[in-house]
Amino acid sequence: MKELLEKVVINYPYLAAGILFAIGVLTVLTRSNVFKKLIGINIMESSVFLLFVSAGNIKGGNVPILDTANPKPVYVNPLPSALMLTGIVVSVSVTAFALALIIRLYNSYGTTDLRRIGEMDYEVKKK
Amino acid sequence: MTAGLKTNLPVFIVVIPMFVAFMLPTFARRIKWIEGTVAAVKLLGLAAAAWLAHMVLYEKDFPVKYIMGGWPAPWGIELVIGNLAALFILTIAIVSLPVALFARDNLEKEVGPKQRIARFYVLYLLLIGALAGMAITNDLFNVFVLVEVVTLSCCGLVSSRKGHGAAKAAFNYLILATLGSALVLGGIGFIYILTGHLNMEFASAELGRVWQSSPHTVWMALSFLFVGFGVKAALFPLHVWLPDAHSMAPSPASALLSGLAIKGYIISFMKILYVIFGHTLMQEYGIYRILILIGMVAIIIGSLSALLQKRLKRRLAFSTVAQVGYLFLGLGLANKEGLMGTLLYLVSHAVIKSLLFLAAGAVISATGKENIRDLAGVGRKMPIAMGTFTIASLSLIGLPLLSGFIGKWHLVLGSLGAGDILSVAVIIIGSILCAAYLLPIIRIAYFEPAPEADWQDPGLPQKAALILLAAGVVLLGVLPGPFIELAGRAAAELLLIQ
Repeated sequence: MKELLEKVVINYPYLAAGILFAIGVLTVLTRSNVFKKLIGINIMESSVFLLFVSAGNIKGGNVPILDTANPKPVYVNPLPSALMLTGIVVSVSVTAFALALIIRLYNSYGTTDLRRIGEMDYEVKKK
Repeated sequence: MTAGLKTNLPVFIVVIPMFVAFMLPTFARRIKWIEGTVAAVKLLGLAAAAWLAHMVLYEKDFPVKYIMGGWPAPWGIELVIGNLAALFILTIAIVSLPVALFARDNLEKEVGPKQRIARFYVLYLLLIGALAGMAITNDLFNVFVLVEVVTLSCCGLVSSRKGHGAAKAAFNYLILATLGSALVLGGIGFIYILTGHLNMEFASAELGRVWQSSPHTVWMALSFLFVGFGVKAALFPLHVWLPDAHSMAPSPASALLSGLAIKGYIISFMKILYVIFGHTLMQEYGIYRILILIGMVAIIIGSLSALLQKRLKRRLAFSTVAQVGYLFLGLGLANKEGLMGTLLYLVSHAVIKSLLFLAAGAVISATGKENIRDLAGVGRKMPIAMGTFTIASLSLIGLPLLSGFIGKWHLVLGSLGAGDILSVAVIIIGSILCAAYLLPIIRIAYFEPAPEADWQDPGLPQKAALILLAAGVVLLGVLPGPFIELAGRAAAELLLIQ
């Protein structure tokens, strides 16, 4: 038990990523407001970015710029951060696209609540 | 010149559609030019895919590794051009050309004015390029980026339909698909944390060394990837977005989504499972059993839900859920016949389902009726649309001499090889259920009195598209030689890389 706790404390970024991921997924699945869903998606993606970036971090590591005159003993792994730059770009474009869709939804239904949109569709179908 | 073209061919197959996609809105002002450019790109793509398949089949030095930008692996991105890639690229080319042909007259009705049509073609080309990329890439992060490109262009294609139903379907699809991509990215992250590699083969070798020291992380990676790709490929309990998205999209887009996009995810998942994790790990973690079980449930529940649907396109969409079950079932059989079955069924379902969706789209736009019950007598008034629909239906049910039969036959052989009688039974029950939900459509269309209405077959390009795809369905069933050869070699390759 003590060992497990120690592991958790040392790897606290992973724990934070896990908690954020759970919050994000719950928000996406339980909220019916489209904006809240979108925020949930963003929280979830950020947690994955945190996971990657903290995996690249090394305690006491230096900025990964090679200086041949006085080389540093330890460098931080730059690859995960570079990857997450792409990930952030993807996430931004998803958000932008979702916002555009929300505008279209609001123009045609007059609400941003998916449950009410569903009810309206159902009533149309009944008629 | 030819040598350079030959070496760089796989890159061109991916890059040219993407490049043209981004250039299209800037240089093509008239819809005719846009359509001409897209047709030219697709014809080039078909020629290139055929050439690639021919080279892979008959030349000895394949699979070839292509090193992007001159940086060798594990630092740079590697493309692997082998049997699997050639098979899937050929499928993409075969399906996407008729779809482009069909889209010509259809889009004005379903999508709207010409700026919107131009955007539709942009998304179409992006989707094609990214799918081809998924087939050849050997880099995990590349897989994620291409998955995202495919997802976003699919959502765009769904939302391009006029009317507000499409926006809602696209939003739901976008939310669930993004959840899936976050899970995929997380899974890739765990693999990277464990192995320090993004190249699939290096990651696989490293994973074989380290998995015993952190078995739980491997579990996390596997389950994240499984659920992520499951959401995207509409595996049974995670398929909730599919019926809305596929039935709301414009018909050419439905054909692409159901026929190709889902298959791209399955190909990627297959590569991740078999190339990175490999046989030993998958057996250790009991993935095979889960795959078979979920596949069987998906076949039964998907077929039963399809039976309950009253609207034509929704019934076809639920049928896709059932067919995805077959593909996952084949992945879980873990023998050569089973994997071959998955690959062959993947190819034939791509052709069949796009034909079904296109024919349904032609019928719906001619009659204006979406309910199956209202389509009485449409078969006599629209002989080509309903005739090709019938061929595709019979093929999906699995009649011999049509393409669906070959995939199902290999799946049955694979299940027998794995000693799994239950899945043989489920495959056969699935076929019967498939007949139960497709044949009534044909019965209503041909054997019920037609109302007085002016329903006509679509114009020449659309007829040509339907006939081309129907010819594809029949040819794949009568002369499946090269496809069986490619699928067999790809399956052997996947099972040997461990």
